[in-house]
Amino acid sequence: MSATPGTQTPSLESRIAAYLRGKLPQAEGLRLGGVERIAVGWSHETWLFDAEWQEAGHAHRQGMCLRRDPGNALLRHLSDLGEQFRVLKALESTPLAAPKVWWYESDPAILDAPFLVMEKVPGSCPSPWGREGRAFYQAAAERGALPRSFTQTLATLHTLDWRAAGLEFLGVPAAGPDFARREIAKWRELIALSGHPPEPVLTDLIGWLEANAPSSSRVTLVHGAYRTGNLLIHEDRISAVLDWELQVLGDPMYDVAYVLSDLNREGTELLSNLVDRDAFYREYEAATGFTIDDEICRYYNALYAMRSVAFWMSASGLYAEGRSNDIRLARTRWSVPVVLDRAARELGY
Amino acid sequence: MSPDELLRRLAQTLKQEIAPAVGEAYPKTQAYMASVVLDKLSQQLALAEAHAAAGRADVAALARDLGELLGGSPLPAALGRTLAGLSGAPDKHGLNALVAALYAAQAELDTEVFRQSLARIRQTLRLGLDRELVYAA
Repeated sequence: MSATPGTQTPSLESRIAAYLRGKLPQAEGLRLGGVERIAVGWSHETWLFDAEWQEAGHAHRQGMCLRRDPGNALLRHLSDLGEQFRVLKALESTPLAAPKVWWYESDPAILDAPFLVMEKVPGSCPSPWGREGRAFYQAAAERGALPRSFTQTLATLHTLDWRAAGLEFLGVPAAGPDFARREIAKWRELIALSGHPPEPVLTDLIGWLEANAPSSSRVTLVHGAYRTGNLLIHEDRISAVLDWELQVLGDPMYDVAYVLSDLNREGTELLSNLVDRDAFYREYEAATGFTIDDEICRYYNALYAMRSVAFWMSASGLYAEGRSNDIRLARTRWSVPVVLDRAARELGY
Repeated sequence: MSPDELLRRLAQTLKQEIAPAVGEAYPKTQAYMASVVLDKLSQQLALAEAHAAAGRADVAALARDLGELLGGSPLPAALGRTLAGLSGAPDKHGLNALVAALYAAQAELDTEVFRQSLARIRQTLRLGLDRELVYAA
C-alpha cells in the first residue's frame, strides 16, 4: 500500500475485498468496482467503491465508503475512527441524515491501520472554495431548497435526543463554563503536541478565552464543523452530515457561531456560501426553539481562532516531525500569524 | 548571491519549470507548494535581521513603559521577575512569558492597571504581528 495520496494499489483493493468476503460469507464472487480514493485531505484516507456479489441467485450491489486512519492525521489522537464509528452507530437511531456504518477494525494487521466501513450515501459534496463550488452553492441558494435543508438539518442535529441515542460517552459538560473550558483544554493540548514555539498573541487569546468563558446550560450534540463541504447533497437537500471528527456534547451556539463565521464563506454574504443570514436566524430559531445569542457566538468565533491556530500548528508540526511528507503541511506554518492576526482583531488590536 | 536570493531563485525554478513539467496531480501540487514555501522562507530570511532589531527596540520600549505603569505598587513576584527578565529575552519567548505572567497575576492586580498593561503589551504584539504578516499573508 502506498502512503502517497492520490494513489491506491491493487493490493489494497484485493485486501479490502478479502475483508468484505469474511464479513459477508453468503456473498458469492464478491468483487469491488469503481474504486476511487477521494478527498486528499489531512485527515483520514477515504475510498469509495461498489461491492458487487451474487447471493441466492440474485445480483447485489452496495456502495461503500472505507475510511482509514493513516496515523498522522492533523488532529492526532483527538481524531479517533473508533469514536467516529460509535457516533455514527448511535446516530442511526436518530432522525439525522448520516451514513450507516457497518464495521470498525482497530487491528492494523488487516489493512495496515484502523479503518471503518460505512454506507456510500448518494450525493455530492462540492467544495465551497473553488469557482465551481461557489457557483453551485449560489445557484442552489437562488432555488431555495438547499439552504432550508442546511438549516433544518442543523436544527435536527441540535434537537435530537443524544441521551436516548447513547452519545453520553462523548462526555457531558457540567452547567456553566465547563463546555468552553473543555474545548480550550483540548486545543491547548494539540498546540502543546505540535512543538510550535510560543506565540504571545495566542497566549493572550487563551488568557482572554479562559477569563471570559460563557456559561451554557443547554447541552446538545455539536458537530464542530457544520458547513458546506462537510455535507453531502442529493437532489437539493442534505443527504448526509459527514466529517464526524470534532463532535462534542455542548452548547449548540458553538455550531451556530461556525455557521455565522466569516471563515466559512468566500466572496458572498451568504453563510457557508449558501444561506441568507436573516433566513438562517428565522428558520433555525423556529425549528429549535433556541434564541441565537450573538455575544456567545462572538466568543466562540474567538475560540475558533484558537482552534484554527491549533490545526495549523499541528499540521506544520507533523511535517517538521517527519510524520508526513506532504509539503502543504509545511506551508501552514505561515498560516499561524494570519489566524493570529484575526484573533488579535477579535480582541480589539 | 545571498541565501534569501538563492531561495527565491529556487522557488522560481520550481514554479516556472519543474512543477509545470510534472504530470501527476499530487506531485505537481507538491512542487508548486514547495515553491511557495521557499518563497516565504526567502522573504522571511531577507527581513530577519531588520525585524529582529525592530522587535528588540519594541520590547525595550515596552519594558520602559510597563516599568512606569506598574512601578507604583508592589508587583506579584512572578510578574516582577518576568518583567525584569524581559531585557534578557527581547523576543517572542520573553513576550510570551510576560503575557502569561500578566494573566496569572490578574486577580492580584488593580483592574485598571491590568487593563492598561495588557493594552500596552498588545501594542507591541501588534507591531510584531504586522512584521510577520509582510511575508506570511
